[in-house]
Amino acid sequence: MDSRLGKSCMGAISPFPEQEGATPVLVEGRCSAWWPRSPTKPGAWHLKVACLLAGAALFLGGESSAAPPLSEQRCMICHGKHGFKKVDESGAVRLLWVDLALLKSSVHRNKTCTDCHHDVVEIPHKERPARVYCRRCHYKDNPAGAPSSDAYLEYERSVHGRALAAGETKAPVCQSCHGNHDILHTRNPKSRVARGQVAATCGRCHLEEYSQYRNSVHGRAVYELGVRDAPDCTGCHGEHSIMAVSDPGSRVGALNVARTCASCHGDEAIMARYGIEADQVETFEESFHGIGVRFGSKRVANCASCHGTHDIRPSDDPGSSVNPANIPRTCGKCHPGANPNYARGKIHINPKIREAGIVYWVATFFKYLTLVTIAALIMHILLDLWRRFKDRGAPA
Amino acid sequence: MPQDARADTIRRLTLQQRLQHLCLIVAMLMLALTGLALSFSDTWLGTLLIRLEGGIEARGKIHRLAALLLGVVGVWHAWYVVLTEEGHRELMAIKPRLADLGEVVRSAKRSLGIEAFSCEVGKYSPSEKFQYWGVVIGTLVMSATGAVLWFRVLSMAVLPKWAIDLTLVVHGANGLLAFLVLVLWHLYNVHLAPGRFPNATWLTGRSPVTRPPSNSGKKIQDAAARSAD
Repeated sequence: MDSRLGKSCMGAISPFPEQEGATPVLVEGRCSAWWPRSPTKPGAWHLKVACLLAGAALFLGGESSAAPPLSEQRCMICHGKHGFKKVDESGAVRLLWVDLALLKSSVHRNKTCTDCHHDVVEIPHKERPARVYCRRCHYKDNPAGAPSSDAYLEYERSVHGRALAAGETKAPVCQSCHGNHDILHTRNPKSRVARGQVAATCGRCHLEEYSQYRNSVHGRAVYELGVRDAPDCTGCHGEHSIMAVSDPGSRVGALNVARTCASCHGDEAIMARYGIEADQVETFEESFHGIGVRFGSKRVANCASCHGTHDIRPSDDPGSSVNPANIPRTCGKCHPGANPNYARGKIHINPKIREAGIVYWVATFFKYLTLVTIAALIMHILLDLWRRFKDRGAPA
Repeated sequence: MPQDARADTIRRLTLQQRLQHLCLIVAMLMLALTGLALSFSDTWLGTLLIRLEGGIEARGKIHRLAALLLGVVGVWHAWYVVLTEEGHRELMAIKPRLADLGEVVRSAKRSLGIEAFSCEVGKYSPSEKFQYWGVVIGTLVMSATGAVLWFRVLSMAVLPKWAIDLTLVVHGANGLLAFLVLVLWHLYNVHLAPGRFPNATWLTGRSPVTRPPSNSGKKIQDAAARSAD
């Protein structure tokens, strides 16, 4: 048995039936035993052999695999009953009723129970079925017709996937965010991961962050104004690829967050729709803070250092970290001794535009003074060279 | 002018002047390399310089260290020109005078080939005087604006924001201007112009003596008379 298998599959909750005797192999991080059909890749003969062996083991080892698939109606004999419950191993009561209508209105409306609960091969099943393993269908170029995506590979590298691999029982798996029988298409506004819904989904675990976000400028834009451009959790953190903020690959890490904010705040077309200045990004990038970030300094301020993270509010909101009343405290986090004078004047200033007033005029004066000086000094050098050339030819 | 056994050269710079000049070179080079690296940090050259300087924070430390050196040279030089006899004589010699304007005109005529030769008196030419006072004023401006940026927590607490922004613009633009003048004017005139290179006066303190044309006696007298006015 490949020792990497347990890690690559979904760790402790993997439903992989090891006792079935097949020797699965990993192909690009994917367990061959789950393949709906043998690989067609030329030259991968060992994979073909592995699949043949696995198939043979299944065929010889279990009369179950030879039995016809269980029909939905048979499952619903029990699971269709309202209030169908059972006490599980831990002594907790589990509601086992399945709302078939919900399944039939989901994206999996054409699937039967055993398409996902494939380990249920007899009725009544003796064991509690394993957690459904979505990857069985959901991988790139799958033949089952599921959306073609390698999202689960991103998930494996994400903070959630790593926590799961490390044995964290509370780490979210596919179902935690997408739902179970009720999974809707992400473009369906009622989907748990649709815009306007996903924050509440994340908020089931991340309570504080959700609460702060809900009242932030972004949360209010999404929930109260229905602004399509405003970010929800995934807008900044990513989706399957969410990383810990301390991870160098995190979209919201100290060195990357400015780029993440800039994906909207640096976009003049988006910002123009809401009357927000788009040159905040450029002015930040050219500031001491921005240059520091570009060269990898984690000590300098990034967008979030001043504006906050989940709790970003407009500067005229008294609760905003960049409200003039709060500026001394916000700047004082890094610059002890910051006083109310820090709040006077505009922070994001661009010396290249007229709105900067005297700063613009002085910068422009120096620009032309420098150009004229360069021209004059080069003229002077040329003139000098010409004179020296002429003098050399002249009699002494 | 003191003239010694080696008749073909003359002592032009004293040891103290050369030491001050050396310190000034080191300080200015360090300031320019670290300062312009920040100004042009969005170009490949600026990026390379910052990497060579040990990163963005080390760059700042080197810049401030060099600023300290410049400050020390500044104080040293101020003491030299005000409180020592030698320095005070030099200060009087390099003081701008109205007569310099006439020399500028004659020098321009010479450059344009209108006048073949003119003899000038006084140790320093107008261009040397201009460069000296440019360094003095430039150093004062860069020190004042640099101090505002160095002690930013205090400056932000007392100055309006526009003054800080202005300080940053002036510090960056003036620094670039000073660098360009030093390279295109001083470095060319003194070191790189044909016939000048290599010029070791800044190290040895001695300059070669060139003889004026034989028919220049009258012009030397005229120049002496002009300077006596």
